[in-house]
Amino acid sequence: MKKIISYFLAAFTFVLLFSCIEEQDFNQYDDLSITPTFEASILYLEVPERTINLVTGLNTYSQNFNFDAFAEDIFSERVLEGVLTYEVANTTSKPLQIEIQFLDEAGTVLDTERFQLDPEPTATLQREIAYGPAGRSIDIIRNTSSITLTATNLGDNTSTSSQSNPLVTLKSSGKFMVRIK
Amino acid sequence: MMPKRFLFATILWVGIFVHAQNKQLLYDFTEIPQALMLNPGMETDFNWYAGIPVLSGISVQAGSSGISVNDLFANDGLDFNDKVRDRAINGLTVRDELSGTFELEILNGGFRGRDPNVFYSFGLYSEVNFINYWPKDYAILAFEGNADRLNERFDLGHLKTRGEMLNVFHFGVNKKTNSSLVLGARGKIYSSIIDINSTKNDGYFVTTEGQNNIFASTLDAELLLRTSGINAIERAIDDQNVPGTIIKRGLFGGNLGLGVDMGFTYYLNPQTIMTGSLLDVGFIYHTNEIESFSLNGNATIEGIEIILPDALLDPDQDYWENLVDDIEAFIPFEETTKSYLTFRPAKLYASLRYNFGEPMEGSADCNCDYLNPGGGSSVTKYRNSVGGQLYVINRPRGPQSAITAFYQRRFGNYMALKTTYTADKFTLTNIGLGVNFQAGPVNLYLMADNLLAYRNIAASNYASFQFGLNIISWEKK
Repeated sequence: MKKIISYFLAAFTFVLLFSCIEEQDFNQYDDLSITPTFEASILYLEVPERTINLVTGLNTYSQNFNFDAFAEDIFSERVLEGVLTYEVANTTSKPLQIEIQFLDEAGTVLDTERFQLDPEPTATLQREIAYGPAGRSIDIIRNTSSITLTATNLGDNTSTSSQSNPLVTLKSSGKFMVRIK
Repeated sequence: MMPKRFLFATILWVGIFVHAQNKQLLYDFTEIPQALMLNPGMETDFNWYAGIPVLSGISVQAGSSGISVNDLFANDGLDFNDKVRDRAINGLTVRDELSGTFELEILNGGFRGRDPNVFYSFGLYSEVNFINYWPKDYAILAFEGNADRLNERFDLGHLKTRGEMLNVFHFGVNKKTNSSLVLGARGKIYSSIIDINSTKNDGYFVTTEGQNNIFASTLDAELLLRTSGINAIERAIDDQNVPGTIIKRGLFGGNLGLGVDMGFTYYLNPQTIMTGSLLDVGFIYHTNEIESFSLNGNATIEGIEIILPDALLDPDQDYWENLVDDIEAFIPFEETTKSYLTFRPAKLYASLRYNFGEPMEGSADCNCDYLNPGGGSSVTKYRNSVGGQLYVINRPRGPQSAITAFYQRRFGNYMALKTTYTADKFTLTNIGLGVNFQAGPVNLYLMADNLLAYRNIAASNYASFQFGLNIISWEKK
């Protein structure tokens, strides 16, 4: 009995002693980089020509609105770089100017993007603005707290477009890389 | 950063060393009293036994399918991010899992009744178990994001996880109804200390071409996370009274449940035996210290929309807050304390054994041989046994099974060996070895499996270890 137990204790010890483990380097975890890129729409503006024609005397529509999406800590502290994409289309009979301003919490203008639109027929204007190492300062995005949108009619208030349902539209989306780790 | 790194590695290690609860080495190892816990209808020849408190049964099992510590942390010069991307993010599927079980017997004993055909057993053990399926789409979303993945649905149902800590009080009856059949049943009272589960999730997140704007982001969520006992532990951490709280909740102070084990042993002929058992058919009703969270609803957004002339009606409105409010209204996040029911992971064992070799007297008083098994607790032992076993456990993504071939060899009444080959989702090369020593009344057993993995433990996908110490008495001649 003692002999057999001894054999098995020896075998067990053998397994323990001669079990192997290849060299592991858990410090590699420090190298882990998690930087996903997310994209979503940001802002959509639509102004029908009939609305433009209704406004007489004042040819500018301006609206400042709160936009805390970029200012949320979970985003602003992690965003690395990104691209804002604008698509502007004008099917009205008037030349127009659309201006977007990014403002910080104190109301200081951080960035401005301006679009000059000819009267119809015009192609859709697409513009991509990069922020981060390859573009404008990413701090513009980080510190943006509100957006001012200004649309100015550079034409008249009477003409009508030959297009069906004439309007001016501004579409925009953001594509941002953030660091999770 | 150090704690995070070690947490990451520990989760993988725990996943590897704690697994799917299959105790193929212990099952039907009739020399070991703890085998009764796997089949209350096991053949028994003990007069009584008493487990050494806290040392009578310790088992640790772990498994990770699809990936090992070595796959990620081997010092192989490869870029760590490439390894994570190729082997985890893109390499694992939603059926891959990290799972584990730890069991510690606090008390275990058994005695033969006045009717020598009846054997009673009782005890208390603690159990911790968890399973986490790889949340593939969540991982892709977290690692790569949704950019340039138009129309690709991220399945929110990929989140399936469950974990619990509980004490189990049990009392079992084992009866030899005739020379060919042994039946057994065990009643269980579960005292849940902690429970956390999120297994009934559904929905998706998708980015599509927008109707007005460039993109439309749609979230269709039906997510539910239920917990019990976490609150109590959090308070205990603040009060620095964690052990006291765990003990209290484990001794009927937590959430209670009931369960039953059933099993049998049937002699097809004097040397061929069929066994089967169904374990943990039970439930726990969680009524106290509940904290559950749900996210239910559907919303599609295309950013802030300013459409004139409607926007002129309320030029001072907060478009951003309105958007956030709309999303919260469509997909409300709710916290509740509603009671809930969980079912225990039921397990099924079955085996077919052929005994051969020279018959021998067992430890029990037995005026019998292999053709005349005798009565009462008498059992005819053979030197060799060979057979196959089946194991099935109910899991959140459906049953998991394992098949085992085994050979058992007895050396007198003082030692028995069992070696197994098991194939399951974790490994197809699982060879295990169990040994039982009997020195007078002292019984000691040791078991370990997936021994081939010891060539490089870090590359192992599965391992288990069991150990126990008992005092056993037979009706001596």
